[in-house]
Amino acid sequence: MGTATPTTEPSAPRSRGLGLHGLITLLSLGMMAPFAWMALASLKSLAEVGDPGWMPAAGFHWGNYAEVFRVIPFLRFVANSLVIAGWVTLLQVFTSALAAFSFARLDWPGRDRVFFLYLGTMMLPGLVMLIANYQIMVRLGLVDTYLGLVLPASFSAFGTFLLRQFMLGIPRALDEAAEIDGASKWRIFWDVILPLSRPGLVTLAIFTFMGNYQSFFWPLVMMKTVDKYTLPVGLLFFDTDHGQATHLLMAAVTMSVAPLIVLFVLLQRQLIRGIQLGAVKG
Amino acid sequence: MKVQSARRRCLVGVAFLLPNIAGFCAFTLIPLALSFMMAFTDWDFLRRNVFRHDPLQWVGLGNFTRLLVDTQFWRDLGNTCFLMIGLPFAIAGSLGAALLLNRIGGRRCRTGPALAAATLVLAASGLVLLRGGMPETGVWFLFGVLAATVLLAGVLTRGSVYRTLFYLPHFTAGVATYVLWKKLYHPTSGPINLALNPLLDQVSSAVRFMPGLFSIGLPLAGAAGALTLVAWHLLRLRRRWDDSEAGISAIVTGSLGPAIPLGFLLARLGLPGAASAAVALAAAALAAALISRRPRPWGPKCAADAGLGLEVALALALIPLLAILLACVVIGPSLPARAQAGFEAPDWLGDYGSAKPALMIMAMWAAIGSNNMILYLAGLSNIPQELYEAADMDGASPRQRFWNITWPQLAPVTFFIAVMGVIEGLQGGFEMARTMTAGGPAGSTTTLSYFVYTEGFETGRLGYAAAVAWVLFALVFVLSLLNFRYGNRNAND
Repeated sequence: MGTATPTTEPSAPRSRGLGLHGLITLLSLGMMAPFAWMALASLKSLAEVGDPGWMPAAGFHWGNYAEVFRVIPFLRFVANSLVIAGWVTLLQVFTSALAAFSFARLDWPGRDRVFFLYLGTMMLPGLVMLIANYQIMVRLGLVDTYLGLVLPASFSAFGTFLLRQFMLGIPRALDEAAEIDGASKWRIFWDVILPLSRPGLVTLAIFTFMGNYQSFFWPLVMMKTVDKYTLPVGLLFFDTDHGQATHLLMAAVTMSVAPLIVLFVLLQRQLIRGIQLGAVKG
Repeated sequence: MKVQSARRRCLVGVAFLLPNIAGFCAFTLIPLALSFMMAFTDWDFLRRNVFRHDPLQWVGLGNFTRLLVDTQFWRDLGNTCFLMIGLPFAIAGSLGAALLLNRIGGRRCRTGPALAAATLVLAASGLVLLRGGMPETGVWFLFGVLAATVLLAGVLTRGSVYRTLFYLPHFTAGVATYVLWKKLYHPTSGPINLALNPLLDQVSSAVRFMPGLFSIGLPLAGAAGALTLVAWHLLRLRRRWDDSEAGISAIVTGSLGPAIPLGFLLARLGLPGAASAAVALAAAALAAALISRRPRPWGPKCAADAGLGLEVALALALIPLLAILLACVVIGPSLPARAQAGFEAPDWLGDYGSAKPALMIMAMWAAIGSNNMILYLAGLSNIPQELYEAADMDGASPRQRFWNITWPQLAPVTFFIAVMGVIEGLQGGFEMARTMTAGGPAGSTTTLSYFVYTEGFETGRLGYAAAVAWVLFALVFVLSLLNFRYGNRNAND
């Protein structure tokens, strides 16, 4: 690694460029190899899953995928995950945008002190709150309900911070102009700031959705009925109960991973910008 | 324009904040206070649940003093730290990947040769398929097609396809990929061991064929490598001291780096633990004293903690490297005897010794192309081109360009990534442990977060679990302070 050269080298010969492409292609294929094995193993029959060859020898068993739906309520898990992540995203983006507007654009006494309190809690490991939060859920009777998964995740200091940073970059002249035209604060928020913050909102929405779609700890302790499991929890218990059925397991894993790959390919531009926004300013 | 009164402004501001702050209080502040309270009680499911409601007993610092003598807690703290050994390698991998991708991005590659290369790969894999038939060689054909596609797409998109492919393991990381890796690691039917076993057979026959090369050559090579590494490291420390780039605390840290593996080596070779620790510490002190006593007549004065961040990072990378080299020294002589029985691939997740490395390898797969690589890419594109142009005019070699421009310019990014990685590492490991190993074998993969889970949700000792969580918070807090103190200043260098 020490010998690697950075950035552009205008004088380098073109043939070396192709060699570099070849090297990186090999590396990325290496990164993809587990996924290739996963997809191929999901098409094997039970007898073949232990074979050294990666290819299913006796044809592709597409039936494995149908079998997954028979063995576990796979669609139900996916629907649960989608609904919960969707609600959390909606609530979190909305409440964070409101709070970020208040922190970035409104002047009120004590504003900065409250903001620092928010910032401070971003350092807290989630584990510190988990146990107490679970006791609160028990007391409120929200264990094993969708509401119990959605509510605690819907209010985020990180989202507020991210959107505040974004809104600070919007020129003040715009909302001053609107104010002169007699717009209320709500109108300024809804018609001026929110449309202009769209890239930030999209970034936060993707982060929140992905984080909650994949989240594991909280659904694992909260959900007790099989029909309410989210996808990660469902997969865990599928593995515990049918661990020997590698082909079915891999079919289920493929079906969980493939949509994520498609989603990422579609949204990568926003995501990468968001990573840089969140970390460089943080 | 209407002039608003302060009262009204305050009301409007709070009204916008209200939905968020209500949730914030209910699900962050109140749990926080409750959890703090719990840490000082003996709250236990057995005595306080739906059926029984014994009054809570305050135990003061009881939970924390119990932690101090709880061997399980120390073991899990050790496991958590041990798993972080993979971090320097993951960061180096991210940097390497970013450097490669950055080079691609800066250069046009003509599509003609790429098309030719892709066709060649396709033709070759097609030929292999025709000769071998579908079940045996189909996978090579598949990889050939994939390689041709990726290469062509990479050239056409000027490298952004590679970035996508590198990032995917991180993006999809979760229970699904952990279940996948559990199958990859399966001792008899997993592809890793199925590929490893024939390889190991060849290795063991090679060792049987030339026992001397391995029983003597390997330890010698390991020792030579370790000595070179230590010498390079100490010379580098001395140069940094002479140039006033490193203060006294950086020198001490830097000297401790090679001393720690030395201590373990001595202990392994049969010296009592205390004696080996003493020898190692004495060696470190000697090195630090020799370096720091050198006068610095020309260099400007530098603070005692200058360059500390870099030395900590390098020491963290040096320790595992030296450990691997020294392991060659220790196990080399016994290799021929072991080869008689034939080497066996490890039962990755089932062996006490290999479970942690297995998790580290998997975590590295997900970490190389992760956010760290994206941040490095951003950092690389922020380096002013003039620096490289000036270096070119001075005739700098690629190596000099890297160590004198790229690496120092990326130092703030590296520092941020390292601190974030350690903070995440302290809290991490729960998902892996729960899905892949259940914390085993023999507790070797139980991290602090899994410990909190089992205490809080399985054995039901809530008070104790809360205390562990607060200790974790203290560790994270100290690290964040370090980040705040040194991260900002580093950025101004």
